[in-house]
Amino acid sequence: QDGLKQCLAEFRQQLAWVERLDVTLGPVADPVSQNSSTSAAVDPENDFQREMSFYRQAQAAVLEALPRLHKLHVATRRPDDYFAEMAKSDQQMQKIRQKLKSKQEAMERSEKAKQLRAMRKYGKKVQVEVLQRRQKEKKNMLNAVKKYQKGLSDKLDFLDEEQTSSQGNKKGNASQRTKKGPNAKRRYKNQKFGFGGKKKGSKWNTKESFNDVSSFQSKVAHNKGPGKGGRGGKGGKKTLNKRPGKRARQKMKNRAR
Amino acid sequence: GKWKNKERVLIFSSRGISFRTRHLMQDLRTLMPHSKADTKMDRKDQLFVINEVCEMKNCNKCIFFEAKKKQDLYMWLSNTPQGPSAKFLVQNVHTLAELKMTGNCLRGSRPLLSFDPIFDQEPHYALLKELFIQIFSTPQYHPKSQPFVDHVFTFTITDERIWFRNYQIIEEDASLVEIGPRFVLNLIKIFQGSFGGPTLYENPHYQSPNMHRRLLRLSVAAKFREKQQVKEVQKIKKKGTKVLVEEDPTEVVFETPAEEKPVEIQLVKPESKPIVKDKKKLRKIQRKKQKKLFRTEG
Repeated sequence: QDGLKQCLAEFRQQLAWVERLDVTLGPVADPVSQNSSTSAAVDPENDFQREMSFYRQAQAAVLEALPRLHKLHVATRRPDDYFAEMAKSDQQMQKIRQKLKSKQEAMERSEKAKQLRAMRKYGKKVQVEVLQRRQKEKKNMLNAVKKYQKGLSDKLDFLDEEQTSSQGNKKGNASQRTKKGPNAKRRYKNQKFGFGGKKKGSKWNTKESFNDVSSFQSKVAHNKGPGKGGRGGKGGKKTLNKRPGKRARQKMKNRAR
Repeated sequence: GKWKNKERVLIFSSRGISFRTRHLMQDLRTLMPHSKADTKMDRKDQLFVINEVCEMKNCNKCIFFEAKKKQDLYMWLSNTPQGPSAKFLVQNVHTLAELKMTGNCLRGSRPLLSFDPIFDQEPHYALLKELFIQIFSTPQYHPKSQPFVDHVFTFTITDERIWFRNYQIIEEDASLVEIGPRFVLNLIKIFQGSFGGPTLYENPHYQSPNMHRRLLRLSVAAKFREKQQVKEVQKIKKKGTKVLVEEDPTEVVFETPAEEKPVEIQLVKPESKPIVKDKKKLRKIQRKKQKKLFRTEG
């Protein structure tokens, strides 16, 4: 140890600070780090923390040294018209700039894609909601119509209700406004062909229709009536059914000859 | 002004260095205008030959890179005529050309040197600090230097090693961008003379790379051996202790050997049985049906 100190004493040069430009300082106090304990012991494995401590040390040195240099009239800022050879060639700097740009672009693209996906999801959700609401309304309308048809309610209120509710909601969601386009055609068709609705179960008998025997005609049921218009010159289906078989016809033919 | 501080640094290497080391050397040469280059030194020559080379080139400092086994890089920093020298193991080398180092500085501009306060606390670190200052600071009014101060070298001590970084000063408020290169120095020894002489200091935390690799290999081998030992112990346990049972003479009393039959050799193939289909046997489906009925009845 003494040897070291002796050597150092021999080796040390007495130069003006301007020649050496050395600063020995700890890092700048970090406003981000709360505990003083963490700032004291920098974990060398934690890359980010370590590099930040180096950065802050350099900052402290710069903050201390620059005023001193200015006092000694040593320039630190390069004037804009001063062109000289740089440590890295322009080509290298171009490459660096390209890389940074491409990274940024990639990030932007991924961001855009994410946003698009989110929007599409939302749009799908809205669409589903709208369709469901339409179906609900249809169902309600049908029920009201059927009720009226079956004679349960003799009020045609549902038609009015729809109009008032739709008018009330016209100022409401914009989503309802999107119904205008196909709705015109749909409305016309509904008007012409009825309100659509379930096709399969629409003609099931109800209790009343089953018990209703008003359309019973006993002559038709027992096949005793005059037939359709008394079976005129042409003859109806029955005469066609009464056509004799092949053998009988041949016999008739032979007898006739 | 006049250039008074006549420092010249000789930067060269031995043979067998990798591309990364070569680039690092070139980077140091561009960053330090007071440096001189030399051809590769043959490894046959002794180290004190370097002193003569330096004298020939009229340099009073030297940075010498030595590569061993094409893997390990050692760096010598020395004050050539009589002063101290130090040997380091260099790790984690990143060069100027790496695309993550986005800063740039004037070629030959003077650097600001920033040291960790720990450098003042230990005598060996103080000596190293003096060495760094004399080697890395560009003399004022050097003909190849630029008059501006626009970058800063930082030397920090973390984890018993010296970390070197180079930042560009962008604004007066100390916003910095890294220029590179960057490396880590692990001190091995400090000698009193240049490339020789008595050892002033030996780093107790230093572990040679060979030792490091050997320890890794040993640990792997030890793990393997341990596994084998555990296996053997388990084997012994499984076998268990064998109990010797005495032979009982009354066991064989009732054994009568069977009559010996004459050995019959078949020469003719036996007749094959005709396959008779049992018509009474119901088909599979019907059998299942029967079973079902039977089960439900019963």
